[in-house]
Amino acid sequence: MNDPGIVQKLQLVSMPSLAVILVALAVSGPAFVSAAQDPRTVVEEAQRRSEAKSQRYDGVLKSFDAGGQVAEKRWAYERLGSHGQSKAVIRFSEPAEVRGVALLIVNHPDRASDQWMWTPAIERDRRIALQDRSTRFFGTDFSFEDLEERDVSQYDYGSLGDETIAGALCWKIQYTPKETKRSQYTKSIIWIRKDNYAYARGEFFVKDTIVRRLSYTDLRQIQGIWTAHDLTMADLRRGSRTQLVMNKVQYNVPLKDEDFTLQAIRR
Amino acid sequence: MKFLASVVAVLVMSVPAVAQPRDPDFPASGKLDRASVVFLDGEGVRSILLLPEGTSVTVIGRDGPWYRITFTSSLGNQTGRIAPNHVRLDQGTTSAGGDARKVSERGFAEGRGFLFPQEALNDTTQSFGDGLVRQEVFLKPSRSFQLAAGVDLRGSSYDQVEDSWRLDFEDRGTLRPRLAIRRLTASVTTTHVSVDLGKQFVRWGRADILSPTDRFAPRDYLNVIENEFLPVLAARGSIHAGGETLEAVWVPQLTPSRMPLLNQRWTVAPPEAAGFVLEDSGAIFPEKSQQGFRWSHTGRFEMGLSFFNGFNHLPDLATAVDSTRQVIGVTRSYPELRTYGGEASIPTRVVTLKGEAAYFTSPDSTSEEYVLYVIEIERQIGEWLLDGGYAGEIVTTSHPELSFAAERGLARSIIGRASYAIDPRRTVTIEGAVRQDGNGFYARGEFSQAFGQHWRLTLAGVGLGGEDDDFLGQFQRNSHIFAALRLSY
Repeated sequence: MNDPGIVQKLQLVSMPSLAVILVALAVSGPAFVSAAQDPRTVVEEAQRRSEAKSQRYDGVLKSFDAGGQVAEKRWAYERLGSHGQSKAVIRFSEPAEVRGVALLIVNHPDRASDQWMWTPAIERDRRIALQDRSTRFFGTDFSFEDLEERDVSQYDYGSLGDETIAGALCWKIQYTPKETKRSQYTKSIIWIRKDNYAYARGEFFVKDTIVRRLSYTDLRQIQGIWTAHDLTMADLRRGSRTQLVMNKVQYNVPLKDEDFTLQAIRR
Repeated sequence: MKFLASVVAVLVMSVPAVAQPRDPDFPASGKLDRASVVFLDGEGVRSILLLPEGTSVTVIGRDGPWYRITFTSSLGNQTGRIAPNHVRLDQGTTSAGGDARKVSERGFAEGRGFLFPQEALNDTTQSFGDGLVRQEVFLKPSRSFQLAAGVDLRGSSYDQVEDSWRLDFEDRGTLRPRLAIRRLTASVTTTHVSVDLGKQFVRWGRADILSPTDRFAPRDYLNVIENEFLPVLAARGSIHAGGETLEAVWVPQLTPSRMPLLNQRWTVAPPEAAGFVLEDSGAIFPEKSQQGFRWSHTGRFEMGLSFFNGFNHLPDLATAVDSTRQVIGVTRSYPELRTYGGEASIPTRVVTLKGEAAYFTSPDSTSEEYVLYVIEIERQIGEWLLDGGYAGEIVTTSHPELSFAAERGLARSIIGRASYAIDPRRTVTIEGAVRQDGNGFYARGEFSQAFGQHWRLTLAGVGLGGEDDDFLGQFQRNSHIFAALRLSY
């Protein structure tokens, strides 16, 4: 009884048991899938399943240059809202020289996000200009645009068939940004797992040349949301890669709107 | 079974109404102090679990009388609601970002070395070094309250630092204090109101090159080129709603900019003073307080209007000649100043346009009145950040005065900066300014590289040239190189 691993389950009569629910989901998932081959529908379902009112995690960012040298950064990430209508704050904690640097990202469903950076060394916030999205984020292989959320309505979709990634059967879907969406990428190809609608891989193109590849691994279900805890972005032009490891991932954390303002990131 | 579940539910639901422990900062980790029922989250499905005593949980928030918790069971990660008094929170610990927000600190130790190829007319020192240790601590007992404290410890081989070990709070001396409070602030933030009290930095304006509206930001100009901002003692309140912020600042006493030492190379005496020794005769500090108000808009574009009523933190200089001693005494005073400012930053598809202007008026008619403005264009191209523009000045009322006017010294200039991030560790920056009449220029190149997680080496070269009567040109003998090694912790 004192073993935390032992769970006694009581069931409210007339409610299906949790085990039954899980089985039902597992069964109904693929059944839904076969009826939802339209790539946009798949993306919408993937987005729906990852929806949360808020998210928090501690991130470790390791950049490996072409020579294998590593630079490491750590941050705390908080997001309020979801998918195109959210605000996020990234606060750096390591290395010591960037401790206190904070980035405020305000996502919009119909246009590129607004971003501001607070730099304690000059005690000032500074807007990151609209045309800067392709710039590498703190010199890593993630660009500022890669940190933005993708809203379903900002892209056109095409099906490229099915493919297996790391043993999981995936839909292979091409994203093409709509004219209203400003993007450094001409197109992206995203692999979405058929068993749980989690992202498995992304490839990003400038014209017809692949420039970045993003791998989603260490998939774990957190509060019902399948979450990749290891995101590795490879810059294929530079031969470098950056690994983002997410720890202590939490969803639906009570966060307040006032923590996502320019005043708040100064603190 | 139905009866049992109902009884358990009623019993559990009655508990929060009886006793509601004070909320911790969420998320908080803890353990169940008894076997407890948890109501699982789910869409259209309600299940309850009986968790054994000692189960580890993370409290992620409050839902009415309940704690919302996450926990791991044999069925995986789950979320649900539980009676708060069934959870024994770990003392002094919170999970996720909670710890980082409670107490945080940052600091560095830095050593710098300067080498001047030329002797100055009043100073034969060509190389020197200085050191700085800075430690800052931030305590955040709750999300809405923060205390911040910071201390600087300095040393110099160039007589730029006081010998005394007194703890300085005012930053009014001609020398840098050996030990100084850099920051001592209490801050309260609510949804729409922020208040900061104490020694702090108050930065206004949008422009990067020169910021005419940045009136509460005195600087240490002992080295005119490698200057740094000084904190001010202030009460700062702001009201914000949406993208609009209305801010009021009250500064009980002036913190002056620290001008170059009279016996060192960054003070260039006029030819008429040849043969005389410049001597500091002290300062006349104003006794009145300073006030400022600023409205700013943040959104797709940014703009702001500001008003400042106080004193110029850059001094006017009064001289007294003592022919017998061959000494010129220099007294600093800080004239009354009232400014009306405006600022804007407009991102476009191609560039970001920035503009900032302020009308400097003299309420007691003892100083010149003028408009100082900056027009700036910024663009990021790959890893290059390019920034260039023009700083201009329009004098509306002339008034002869001797002053150390570092801000106006950069006016009527074309200014540019380019920085390139080679990789996460290395950056290169080039910047320069040329007076529109060509009488003075300044150029600076810098390379900076991080080693490991704590060390950074910065190498820089500065070139200065021009005519003797130009603010930049007068420093023609002060071109230099410098190296800085910083240990951040």
